[in-house]
Amino acid sequence: MSVCPRSNPDKYSRVLTSGFRAVVPFVIALVIGGAVLLATGHNPLAFYQLLVRESFGGTDRIAATLSAATPLLFTGLATAIAFRAGVFNVGVEGGFVLGGLTGATVALHAGLLAGCVAGALAGVLVSALPAWLKARWNVDEVVTTLMSNFVVAGLTGWLVTAFLQAKGVANSATPLIPRSAWLPDLLPPYGLTSGVLIALVLVMLYAVWIKHSVLGYELRQTGLNPRFSAAQGIRVGRVIIVSMLISGAIAGLGGAAHALGVVHRFVDGFSPGYGFTGIAVALLGRNSAVGVVLGAVLFGALASAGTTAQLFSDIPLDIVDVLSGTVMVFAVIRLWRQR
Amino acid sequence: MSVRLGARDVSRAFGPVRANEGVSVEIRAGTVHAVVGENGAGKTTLMRILYGLDQPDSGTVVINDQPVRLRGPADGIGHGIGLVPQELAMIGSLTLLENLVLGTEPRSGPRIDWARARGEAEELASRVGVELPWTALADNVSISVRQQVEILRALRRGADVLILDEPTAALAPAQVDDLLRLLRGLREAGRTVVFISHKVDEVLAVADEITVLRGGKVITTRPVGDLDRTSLIELIVGQQVGFTGFVPSAVTGDEVLTVAGSVSLSVRAGEIVGVAGIAGSGQDELVERVVGLRPPDGRITLAGQDISTLPVDRRRAAGLGYISGDRRSEGLSMDASLADNTIAGTHRTLGRHGWLKPSAVRAYAKRVLDGYSVRYGRTTAVARTLSGGNQQRVVIGRELDRDPKLLVAAGPTRGVDVLGMTYIHDKLRALRDNGSGVLLVSEQLDELLDLSDRIIVLHGGRVAGEVPGGPASRTAIGTLMLGRTPS
Amino acid sequence: MTVSMLGGLLMSALLLWTPLALAALGGLLHRVSGVVNIGLEGQMLTGALVGAVVSGATGDWALGVLAAGAAGGLIGLLMSLCITRLGANEIIAGLGFTIVLSGLIGYLLRSVFDVSGTLRVAGLDPLPRILGLDPLFWLTIIFVPLIGWSLRNTVAGLRLRATGDGFDAANALGLPANGIRDIAGTLAGVFAGIAGSHLVLGQVGLFNENMVAGRGFIALAAFYFGRARPLPTALACLLFAVFDAAQARLQTAGVPAQLIQTLPYVVVIAVLTATAVRGVRGRVRRAG
Repeated sequence: MSVCPRSNPDKYSRVLTSGFRAVVPFVIALVIGGAVLLATGHNPLAFYQLLVRESFGGTDRIAATLSAATPLLFTGLATAIAFRAGVFNVGVEGGFVLGGLTGATVALHAGLLAGCVAGALAGVLVSALPAWLKARWNVDEVVTTLMSNFVVAGLTGWLVTAFLQAKGVANSATPLIPRSAWLPDLLPPYGLTSGVLIALVLVMLYAVWIKHSVLGYELRQTGLNPRFSAAQGIRVGRVIIVSMLISGAIAGLGGAAHALGVVHRFVDGFSPGYGFTGIAVALLGRNSAVGVVLGAVLFGALASAGTTAQLFSDIPLDIVDVLSGTVMVFAVIRLWRQR
Repeated sequence: MSVRLGARDVSRAFGPVRANEGVSVEIRAGTVHAVVGENGAGKTTLMRILYGLDQPDSGTVVINDQPVRLRGPADGIGHGIGLVPQELAMIGSLTLLENLVLGTEPRSGPRIDWARARGEAEELASRVGVELPWTALADNVSISVRQQVEILRALRRGADVLILDEPTAALAPAQVDDLLRLLRGLREAGRTVVFISHKVDEVLAVADEITVLRGGKVITTRPVGDLDRTSLIELIVGQQVGFTGFVPSAVTGDEVLTVAGSVSLSVRAGEIVGVAGIAGSGQDELVERVVGLRPPDGRITLAGQDISTLPVDRRRAAGLGYISGDRRSEGLSMDASLADNTIAGTHRTLGRHGWLKPSAVRAYAKRVLDGYSVRYGRTTAVARTLSGGNQQRVVIGRELDRDPKLLVAAGPTRGVDVLGMTYIHDKLRALRDNGSGVLLVSEQLDELLDLSDRIIVLHGGRVAGEVPGGPASRTAIGTLMLGRTPS
Repeated sequence: MTVSMLGGLLMSALLLWTPLALAALGGLLHRVSGVVNIGLEGQMLTGALVGAVVSGATGDWALGVLAAGAAGGLIGLLMSLCITRLGANEIIAGLGFTIVLSGLIGYLLRSVFDVSGTLRVAGLDPLPRILGLDPLFWLTIIFVPLIGWSLRNTVAGLRLRATGDGFDAANALGLPANGIRDIAGTLAGVFAGIAGSHLVLGQVGLFNENMVAGRGFIALAAFYFGRARPLPTALACLLFAVFDAAQARLQTAGVPAQLIQTLPYVVVIAVLTATAVRGVRGRVRRAG
């Protein structure tokens, strides 16, 4: 028999520790990225300064950062919802991509709203099978969702080349969506679309819903302790499915918003791994609403600044992947150790 | 050399809990020495210290008459001490032979010399008089067989003192007999055996000397000849504390629960029905079927309504309450707030149009927690921060506050101190006297005898018999638990 | 289809099989030790680059292969340490490492080698042919039964299996379970690195940053399909390699390549589902 004495940390120190936990992976990433830069004859400090300036120095740059953060808000939120329910969904990438293709195609014929709805439904479609398999047969969702990403990639590639290919375009892409079906710009002339507003509204809804709704309560309890939840009469299988479907819908909507707001069509390489970066966003933000926003903005800043930094220095954009991948690896360490 | 293994004035505390206090034991070579006591008497802590898994706060371990410091299990093994833990370190997908040699494989180069391994295995097995299916997977053999392999493994690793921690907890009676025979065989082969148990009959049947622990202290060490059943039980239990005595039900009403299936029983309103049996006799299955966590194998009715196919939430809505025997992973969500723990199961009725009002949640939680004298700071504190007794009060409060027609209480006082136990017993009786039915599953015979109006004894997943509550039924239950019929 | 066409298909399938099977066998060892390795993709890419560069610099394919294995092993060890010592989640660590490595390699290509995506290494020494196929193919052929036998009959194999199936039990018996996992993770990296070098030295003759093209994940699919047994895993790889080799031919017959590429993943989802359904049914039967 043992009694484990444990202090009850007050809220202030809890916020501090979670802040600390979120900063550590970034510091490690900056150190590793710095080593790479140094080894290849660049000054890391100068580059990091450039990054900060290029991400937050001026309205245009902030707009670019928010624009780059928008898809990550969607994918980060989609991942966070599933994680919160204890479902390890790594299939948000697939939902995002199919949502993009579906949104772009439907919007072409039926307009903006229909495009968004269709995109969300496409995302639901992607997550439905792993969700059902997990809830009904306890099939490991990590592998099924991971694999579904590749299935979606092949499927969308085929759909585009076989049926939806725009005429007169060299690479595989769907026709340009008419301007009337675009998501309106928020801050013309900067390329920030109202997609970011949709995403932020969703994040806020999530914050309130997860904390104060009956379903949000059940989702949290299922994520914390499924055995306890089942014994208290929470239908765990149903909660898992609901969380996965919502996650899929948000991923699909994110893809549609990206297609209708930014790319204005669906093209090959539509998502440079937004779904996977979304995992890092959710982990770093510890599945909380505020954390997802901060994480998305940070990764968005990296991406947008990396793109322009590439123009001003001869440092390739790929360094951004080194940084964000490192954050991903180390963000997890913090999250899983506290369990 | 007389003392092969022992403790001299050993104390060990975990926070406020004094698991061992000035414990001294002497285990002589070539004997079977039993260490007995109730749950929480400090047996396991002492054994962990003797093996080197834990270090005493003060006092020393004695090996071959010399005081020694054991820094880890490796030291214990080095001194020829082997531990057969309750959680067997057996790997299900490996064969028994593979499990036996794992870590100390006989080899020729990088290859395992299977012929030699098999030879050693057979030799060991015949020395203690067992026969084992060496090529079977550990997953496919009984716990009893796995335990024998575990014992042989300790011997193969050079142990001549074997510590067995509650080895009979999960064994059927015939298997217990086999184990006791094996232990006697070990003694005849010159080994020393330390046998931890709280089962009086087994101890009397096999031990040469018996040390009784109670409340972390040694009460006595005596040769087995000086003791009989009654005197040993008295020594183990001591003065009966925490038990207010048997008070049978005044009025019973209609049946609130009927179960028909591999186990059939019924509970009437105003009645506590106890369920006894050695661990693994079908108690868990019964509880899970009634609560709805396991597919039914027959018909279950709650207050006349067939609930066999209803999910847990509908059963709860129909008037079922459930105190889980596994507080840490099922009864409570340790990382969730007290408020969230308290409203679980009631949260749907607390909600308005799908939303939970924070003030309403807080008020509900406060009312329940205060009503059941839980000592806590804020309702936002996580359950883990409470002491074990307080945690159990949260569970009790959550379940009783709903005034269930039927309460399923599995091990309701497990890990709770004497004061908390009395409190919980009073609450259960009050619930009964209010006209609810209680299905009480417990490993503690005294608790069952004290609280139950009737006691159903399970054996091998079936009902072995039924006896009335009260102290007079003790012997009959013991016999039924072993699958025999009382004379 | 004529016999020569079939022969050609088989030869190209065997060529494609080698790196898949090597990476899958590496992943299999890691899986047996109890870790799902999602980082094979990045380790293969690393092996491909290092193999190309070292083979070009030394003019010796064998040194290229060894260097690729060493680089993959180093990455594998680092990844395993993150998992075993820092408590990283294996899935996230695998994905994260793959992102870091592809970023790092893209960065190096552009900033050090000054090329965009494709690196032609002068003096690259391709794999020689033995009986019409390269040495890595024959090595892999030997590895399949060798690994199967070793898992059953060697001390290392037994301990590896024990760690995977009973981590706590292995620890309790005094085995360095974390260390064993690190060794398995390193081996997985070595195998994946060598597999990567085969893509360059045995197939294409140049390095491209997209040349692994999901093969690491197909390897993952293969050992899931083969339930971490060497022969079924190797056969799954052969099946996937035949899909791959037939792709171009089938495409001319009107079957879209993109759909064929998804087959390994679809197959894995199906196999996992079948296994889980059987598992649940089996449990119910035993309990009831």
